[in-house]
Amino acid sequence: MSVGHVARAMEESGIATVVIASGVFSDRLRAMHLPRIVLTDFPMGRPLGAPNDHETQREVLLAALDMIDHTKQGGSIHIFNRDYCPWNL
Amino acid sequence: MTEETISQLKKSFSYGSRSDMNFKFLKDLTDEEVTKFFQELLWKLGDTLDDGNLQRIISHIYQYQQKGYVGTGRFKYETTAFTQVELQKDKMRFALIASTGHFVQGQDPKPFGVEDMTQNQAEERITDFLRLEPELTSIPTNTPPDQLKVRHGGYDVRGAIMDRNVNFPIDRLNELAADGIIGEFSSPAYSFVGACSQMRLQNHALPRWIEKLHNEEIHGLILVPV
Repeated sequence: MSVGHVARAMEESGIATVVIASGVFSDRLRAMHLPRIVLTDFPMGRPLGAPNDHETQREVLLAALDMIDHTKQGGSIHIFNRDYCPWNL
Repeated sequence: MTEETISQLKKSFSYGSRSDMNFKFLKDLTDEEVTKFFQELLWKLGDTLDDGNLQRIISHIYQYQQKGYVGTGRFKYETTAFTQVELQKDKMRFALIASTGHFVQGQDPKPFGVEDMTQNQAEERITDFLRLEPELTSIPTNTPPDQLKVRHGGYDVRGAIMDRNVNFPIDRLNELAADGIIGEFSSPAYSFVGACSQMRLQNHALPRWIEKLHNEEIHGLILVPV
């Protein structure tokens, strides 16, 4: 996967990365052994949440930023547990 | 009239006569799994008729998308480079790169030299995209929503058209910077079409992208695949 290769190369150059992805791609991303991943239970194409669900989008980003602050080793994965709620706006 | 087989049906959703990026995964399921997908979907729709709960439909689609993408794929690595962050996030300068196919109106990257390529045309040329070196598009982080376009032959862009933040969260990152939660959100943000040549990405594009981000003094990078 393209973003996995971007993460690996950027990290090697000294830039810390965190990938935010739909859990649909869990197997493929885990196989690429990336530094930091947030996996959401959201459908393909909408990894940060439903359209206009600002609160969830922000929470996903906060989870990703938290990994930047606290992750101590590569291969770390955070599972973001929340329903995909396009109607709960 | 020739009877359509389950095999033909499931393949038609993946760049075929019923092409649908949300359901292209059906082609990678067994005929039995596809039958079960539709049977369970209809049963759950029946439940939803009575209680209006759409969550079971969304979960059903998500679970079968997962089945379609089960397995490790082509790229497997045992180790990774890891950059230990020295600063806290409220002192860091962050960039965004998403493989979403976004671009600013009037700055269409014109893949294959085609003017105003449509989403349908991009889907039809997906095998050509997979041989192409990806191009990074620059998107100022104050770009108004109606000036941001999206086109990508590998996923359903309708959610992203409704709200770019579903996979290109520039509004949410601007808010986090304004709230002081991150030090800075660097402008421009970047996008590319992730369905591309992995060899050309790694050997040609990435060295330039790395140099660009180092010149912008980026400490942290948010990456979003689709």
